[in-house]
Amino acid sequence: MTDVRIYISGMGIISSLGKGITETGEALQKSLTGIRPLALFAIASDQPLPVGEVAGPIEDESIPRTHQLARLASDQAMAESRETPDAVVMGVTTGGMLTTEALLKKNVQDPKSFRLHATGSVAEDIARRYRCTGPALTVSTACSSGAVAIKIALEMLRSGSFKRVLAGGADSLCRLTYYGFNALQLIDPEGARPFDRNRRGMSVAEGAAMLLLVANHPHNAVAEILGAGLSCDAHHPATPHPRGQGAQAAMLAAIEDAGISSAEVDYINLHGTGTLDNDISEARAINSLYERQKPLMSSVKGAFGHSLAAAGAIEAVVSAIAITNSLAPATVGCNLPDPDLKLDPLIQPAQRPISTVLSNSFGFGGNNAAVVFSDCGKYKPKRTYAKTQPMTILGSACITGAGNTRQTMKSIAGGKTCAGMLGIRPISANLAAGKVRRLKRFPRLALSLAIAAHENSGEGPDPSSVFLGTGWGALSETSDFLTRLFETNEQFPSPIDFIGSVHNAAAGQIAMRFQATGPNITMTGGDYSFEQALMAASLLSNGIDDTFLVIGADESHPQLSRLFDRSTSGSAILSDGGGALCLKTAASTTGFTIQPVFFESRENNPEVISSLIQRLGQPQQINDRYGLILAGIPAACRHEGEMQLKNLVSLSGFTSPVIDYRKITGEYASASAVAAAIAVKFLQNGKIPEALCRDKPAGLGQKGALIIGTGSFITALEVMPK
Amino acid sequence: MEKLIKELQVKIVEVLNLIDVQPEDIGTDDQLVGGKLGIDSIDVLEMVIMIEKDYGVKIDNRELGVKVFATLGTLAAYIHKSSPELPN
Repeated sequence: MTDVRIYISGMGIISSLGKGITETGEALQKSLTGIRPLALFAIASDQPLPVGEVAGPIEDESIPRTHQLARLASDQAMAESRETPDAVVMGVTTGGMLTTEALLKKNVQDPKSFRLHATGSVAEDIARRYRCTGPALTVSTACSSGAVAIKIALEMLRSGSFKRVLAGGADSLCRLTYYGFNALQLIDPEGARPFDRNRRGMSVAEGAAMLLLVANHPHNAVAEILGAGLSCDAHHPATPHPRGQGAQAAMLAAIEDAGISSAEVDYINLHGTGTLDNDISEARAINSLYERQKPLMSSVKGAFGHSLAAAGAIEAVVSAIAITNSLAPATVGCNLPDPDLKLDPLIQPAQRPISTVLSNSFGFGGNNAAVVFSDCGKYKPKRTYAKTQPMTILGSACITGAGNTRQTMKSIAGGKTCAGMLGIRPISANLAAGKVRRLKRFPRLALSLAIAAHENSGEGPDPSSVFLGTGWGALSETSDFLTRLFETNEQFPSPIDFIGSVHNAAAGQIAMRFQATGPNITMTGGDYSFEQALMAASLLSNGIDDTFLVIGADESHPQLSRLFDRSTSGSAILSDGGGALCLKTAASTTGFTIQPVFFESRENNPEVISSLIQRLGQPQQINDRYGLILAGIPAACRHEGEMQLKNLVSLSGFTSPVIDYRKITGEYASASAVAAAIAVKFLQNGKIPEALCRDKPAGLGQKGALIIGTGSFITALEVMPK
Repeated sequence: MEKLIKELQVKIVEVLNLIDVQPEDIGTDDQLVGGKLGIDSIDVLEMVIMIEKDYGVKIDNRELGVKVFATLGTLAAYIHKSSPELPN
């Protein structure tokens, strides 16, 4: 048990309001706005919409703009730090999309040009920059991503396994979001006017903010993060709950997690996008939380614009500035507060001592987060935190090219491949046709897996939380959106495809299906996305007694998979699918458990395999504990992965079967989720199918399975009998 | 007008992928959004784009949208009145 306190020891920011903490603080004090007509990329219309664009040239055009912004913010956050962070956690929703759009427009076919498309490549770039060898995690929960990243970092530090985590968010402007939000009629042509009587929508923006969070009081502590809360509306793909139920739940969870009362909050940094629906929903949530005296409150989205995944992190920096500068910024853009909202947002900045701040970030899919900040040492710690525990497996399922779980296991037992892509009809076999009419391949895969895993659990209580890992997300929707955008000379993009293209749309569908109003997290860490989702689940379910779902899924797309996922370039056929687990943290005496046990980068880390073995135990212990290794070797790093695996097997003297599972599943980012589902079935059967054993012992006895990821990261999950 | 209504029935079913609905199921005076057809606010946005693309008619704010999308009949009438591409 630890009673750690989490401090911000460094911060960095770049946005439409400028670069750095000082410049941003001054801009907030002067109530400046960074919202101006778009200039970043050429558009078909001669009337560009107002956006929050980062001004001035950005050096180094060899990497996409999101990566550049993330580097600029991170360098500031790390400027005073001599030690390397143990982990990087970032909220990112568009990644290299701005670059990708330009390449697709030019019909570039070389996958190398798209190597930094993935949202996960931003956190990996930042980790590499500071020689961080720990996990580089990517959260894609739309507009709450940056705040959710901070929550995950907070739990990593509380678990005691990490001491220094660099966390934040970054997104650059791109055509997808510029046109997408406009297609939803969510853009105010005059610039965002949050909570104003005449507000008509938001202003899309870009930026990055990073915070170095540490578990021991540093000499340069800026502020403390007391706690954070997450929730999901489970209500609608793109519109917030009309009464703000999810928003209120997240705020209450944050306040409780912080160990304070709502009355102790001095200032609320509102999500306040300026859309009709968000501002009503948030106002109602605040009014339910505070019946009488309300704290000071404002939205800064009329100043910065809404920088999507960066927003939660940018507003974490704003919250810290509010404390250090005794400044509650104005709601720039709001001239006449909407009387219907019964809210009193600050029209002018208020200069007075502020020691506790609540910051709200809400996103598509009803994905809500709230974070509480305070003056260092203002509150005494009231809680201790436990290490993460193994999670009990209640149910499991997979979909592969061979079919559903039963068909996949039959195929494996017969020594046959499960590669390929299942038709849309069998994928949708357990889905109500009318309800999924707007869903394309990826969300159907994810939803189908979630339902199957829950069904396999014996259909116990509905899960309250959802954790989804996906390397590439909704490729069909993304491709269809951009294709129609370009084909119609940027005139008629599809709103349905835009909503569907958002990485966390599928997890939002799952939440709606199960009315899962707890945390709803989508992790997009390339080939290690399922591992990241499982890690997030392990951290966020710690001490909670509910059932939850962890899913890994990816769709293959004939054009985009070949461009984005270099592992597919050598395969004759494309494959996709995924796996899902229905889990619970509370201990039961029978069955099986799963736990993430290792996650390190191979870069700047020559001893990574030795570190893994050290974590797992002595060679004898490893052989006694595990009867099977399922190894994931992405084709893009086949040679390196084989060497890593060989190294692991020889250093640990492992004698039981080792299965190179991508040779069975085919190549896709979340194939490890299938491996997890397969491992569960093998353990339940007590043996591995003979066809996979190559004369090694097929019986598992009381031994468990180790699911290893190789390539640019080395990961390990263990599935164990109780 | 009747031709326009028939055309819209087919387009709506197709664009919104209303798999359980036949074009003729969309009655001229039935509630179009939030009723038994299962059409919701997201579908409205998709119809807005379709109508602008196919008929050159913009419906770019919510107040107007509520009136225009009340029924198939009101939608057809609005398009008929506003479209530069249809003979009045």
